[in-house]
This record gives sequence, C-alpha cells and structure tokens, in this order.
Amino acid sequence: MQIIANGLIQGLLFALMGMAFSLVYSTTRTFHIALGAIYALAPYILLACIQAGVGWVIGVVAALCISALVGLICEEVLHWPFVRKGAPPEVHIIGSLGMFLVLIQIIALIWGNDTQVLRAGVDEVYTAAGIRLTRAQLVGGGGAIIVMAGFFLWLRRSDLGLQFRAMADNPVLLSLLGRNVRNLRRMVFMVSAGMAGVVALATAYDVGFDPHGGLQAVLVGIVATIMGGRGSLFGAALAGLLLGILRSQVIWHFSARWEEAATFLILALILFFRPQGLFGRALRLEEKV
Amino acid sequence: MNYLLHLLIYFEIYIIVAMSLNLLIGYSGLLQVAHAAYFGVGAYAAALLALKLGASFLPALFGAALAAAILSLLVSLPAWRFRGDYFVMISLAVQVTLYALMYNWVDLTNGPYGLSGIPRPAIFDSTMATQGGVFAFYGVIVIFIAVTLGLLKHSPFGRALQAMRDDELAARSLGLPVRMLKVQSFLIASAMVGVAGGMYGAYVSYIDPTSFTLDESILMLSMVIVGGTGNIRGPIVGAAVLIAIPELLRLLALPDAIAANVRLLAYGLLLILMMHWRPQGLAGKYRFE
Repeated sequence: MQIIANGLIQGLLFALMGMAFSLVYSTTRTFHIALGAIYALAPYILLACIQAGVGWVIGVVAALCISALVGLICEEVLHWPFVRKGAPPEVHIIGSLGMFLVLIQIIALIWGNDTQVLRAGVDEVYTAAGIRLTRAQLVGGGGAIIVMAGFFLWLRRSDLGLQFRAMADNPVLLSLLGRNVRNLRRMVFMVSAGMAGVVALATAYDVGFDPHGGLQAVLVGIVATIMGGRGSLFGAALAGLLLGILRSQVIWHFSARWEEAATFLILALILFFRPQGLFGRALRLEEKV
Repeated sequence: MNYLLHLLIYFEIYIIVAMSLNLLIGYSGLLQVAHAAYFGVGAYAAALLALKLGASFLPALFGAALAAAILSLLVSLPAWRFRGDYFVMISLAVQVTLYALMYNWVDLTNGPYGLSGIPRPAIFDSTMATQGGVFAFYGVIVIFIAVTLGLLKHSPFGRALQAMRDDELAARSLGLPVRMLKVQSFLIASAMVGVAGGMYGAYVSYIDPTSFTLDESILMLSMVIVGGTGNIRGPIVGAAVLIAIPELLRLLALPDAIAANVRLLAYGLLLILMMHWRPQGLAGKYRFE
C-alpha cells in the first residue's frame, strides 16, 4: 500500500509534466525539449527569492512567472521564426535541444553544479490508514491535482479546448477564421512552462534539485505524451500517473538504478503493440507527419 | 607538438563518428541521437575482448563493429514504423537504456569505475608506442572508411537511401525495400562508430560510462549539423570545428570549474544559430524538409 501511495504521488507529478509537454506537442507539433531547462530553472528562482527574504508566496509566484517568461522566449526566438520559415520538425527539435543546453549551462554558471535543497531537516510526517506521507508529498500531490483540475475546468468552460484542437489540425485555417494563432501559441508555451514549474517546485521541495535534473523530467513528460497518444491531454496525464506507479514498483522490486531503463522499456512495449498510444486513435497514412 | 598530435588523433576518431552519423542523418534522413551509446558499445566490446579474451587490436575492432552492428537493430527495427519526432524519441530511449546497461551491469562493464589498462593499438605484434604511430595508423583507418562511404554514396544503395530520405512513400511505390534499407544503413553506421569507439578506448586506455552520455550524443549530432549533412566534407568540417571550440575557449583562460559549462553553452548556441541561418550546415548539401 505504502509503495502504491508513493507511486501515486509521484505519478500525479509525472501526470502534470506529461500534460505540460503534451500541451505544446499536441497543439503546435513542437518537440519542446527546452521544457526540461525551464523545469531546472524554477527552483533556483524560488531559492533566490527566499534568500532575498521576500517569502515563500512571492517566491513561488515569481518562479512560475519567470518559468512562463522563459517558455515565451523559447517560442519567440526559436519556434515561431522556424514556423514562419516552414521548417521541418527536425529543425524544431535540434533548435530546442540547443536552447536546452544553453539554458541549463546558464543556470549552472550562475548557481553552480551542486545539488541544493529548499528546506532543512526532516519533513513532517502524517499517518492515515497505515500510510505515511510527508508534507512535501502531500503538497506536491495536492498541487498537481489542483493545477490539473483547474486546467481541465478551464478547457471545459471556455472554447479553448476547441481552439487547441483546431490549431493542431490546421493553424492557417484557424487564423483565416479570425483567431489569433500567434497569441494562442504564446499562451500554450507559457501555460506549459508554468505547469513544468509547478512540478519542479514540488519535486525540489521534496528531494532537492540540481541543474541537470531537467532532462529526466522532460523525458518523463515525453514518454507520458507518447504513451497517452498524440493529441490527448487527458491520455498524457493518465499515462504519467501510470508511469509513476510502475516506476515505484520497479524501485521496490529491483533497484532505483533501473528506473530509467524501465521507463523506456514500458515505452518500447507501448509503441510496439499500440503505436497510437493508450488513448489515441490510429491515424490514416496521409495524416502521419 | 605532442598535444597537437593528441588533438589530431581525436579529430581522426571524430571524423569517423561524424561521417557514420552523417550516413544516417544526411543520407537516410533519420535523426539519430543514440550515437554515443553505440560509440560506447564499440569501446566496451573492444576493451573487453582485449582484456578478458586477450584479443589483439584488429580482431577486437572487428568485434566492436559486430557488437554495435547487432545492437543497432534496437533502433533500426522501430525505425520501420516511426519517422520524425517519434524516431528521435526511440533513439533517445535507446541512448538512455544502453547507458543504464553500461553503468549498472557491474559484472561485465565494471560499472561507474570503468575499465582501465586497455592495450594500446597494435598491428600484428608491433604496438604503437608513439603518438605519431597511432596517428598514422588511425589515419589509414579513417581513409579506408571515408573511401568506403564515398563509394557507397554513389552506389545504387546510396542513391536508394537518398530517395528514401527525400520521399519515403514514393521510394516504396518504386519498389525500394525501405525497411531493409533502414536496417542496412544503421548496421553500417553503427559498425563504423563501433570501430571508432574501439579506437578511442585503445588510445586513451581507460573508459567509463560517462564518456558515452546523451551530452556526448548531442556533441556528435552538433558535429554533423554544424559541418553539414549529405556529403563527405561536411562532417569533417564539423568535427574540426567542434574539436577546435574547446581549444579556442582555452585561450580565454576560464577557470576549470566553469570551462565545461561554457563549452556546452557554446555548442547549444551554435546549434540554435545554425538552425536559424544555415540549416544545411557550413559545408553541407542536404537540409531537412
């Protein structure tokens, strides 16, 4: 039970990361690797704010805002110019990889390569029905649920979800219909970066952080996105949840060293038996990119 | 003088790496990011053959090529189905998995401690004691591989690869065995990078998994992207540029702690700038479409 509970909390964070990646990928067909750098950046902003003595609340808000800003920068200097040139997906990927490297190295140059922590000492532990959870886990899991629920509610209450689908389908037509695709894209990148920031802060509060954890995080996001099926935000979230539970089982039964390999083994199996993802629909040949 | 020779030997090794990667990116249009893992497979195979079975240099290199070629099925079979960003994801997964194997399979690879005391390169019974000897010997191997690739490019096989790169569907409709072509191109490219790995291990006489990480794969990718894809001279230019960058940064006399960060920062910037202004590379022919 305890293992499943731990996995569930981890899974909720993975789910949010999966959604963050999937949001950009499903709407703009951009492989947003630089999201990993945003993930790495957010805790440092919070740490800097706390050290400056402005308090947790402002620190968290500042970290999320700066995350969103960096997301916006990725879109403005990288992906939008590429779209205007009609660049193929490979160019987006390589550009995003370059951006990832640049951001991570800037972080490492400013704050150093060492692991840092947001809190000192042992966390408070709460016990209920035989399950023990730390406060960090509760905050992380709860935060992830709130953000995801809020986002799905937003999608449902406005025609945003419809616009996202339309943009994924045919951005040119959407702009001909009088929608501002440019702003929609900006929003997608900012919201996604904000989500990654939330995951990063929760994880950093729990286990600490260093500049190089971003890659793992974005890989999890990518795997969740592919597992969930392209274009399905809900699928990505559910796949992330599943991934968290499965990974905690691997750690318990084998060893934490095989965690990464297990993730990709799951991915390989899914791609082999269900290439459209768990919740995606099969594409016709001419729809495939 | 010795230092210059040392750089030139690295240059030779990376020429092979970049040229073999170019076979995949420039001729087959498949964006492979697991190349460092195959480089590592070659290095480990050659080192283990030499250390545990007492194989001499050339048979060990042959074993390295064979091991890398067999393992290339891990990427080439999924490549039957996936292109573009999904394929990148697969090769990313292979990179992480192979790295996890090298790191965690302690009985075979000695894990994070690496393998030391790898015998120096030798032909028949005469060991290359001096760097000049190694340089000349490796030069012969490089020329052999470059000539092979040059002949391959203009062979029916090479033309079929380029047809597949430009339009897979059309190539299939003309009766080209697209799946077989992919498997073959990965076999050849992986065998070549495996040889390069074996040469690397024999030259530095110590290997550990950290030389075969994703960062290293990105470096190899940058060589091909910066130098140019789709011809022979592109990768050579790329290898020269990317080996020269750290040496030029050395002139700035940066402190050791940040030198590595600045180097990666430069690589990232280079990738972004190339994607913006010269997606076909400095001396390349093919650009992603």
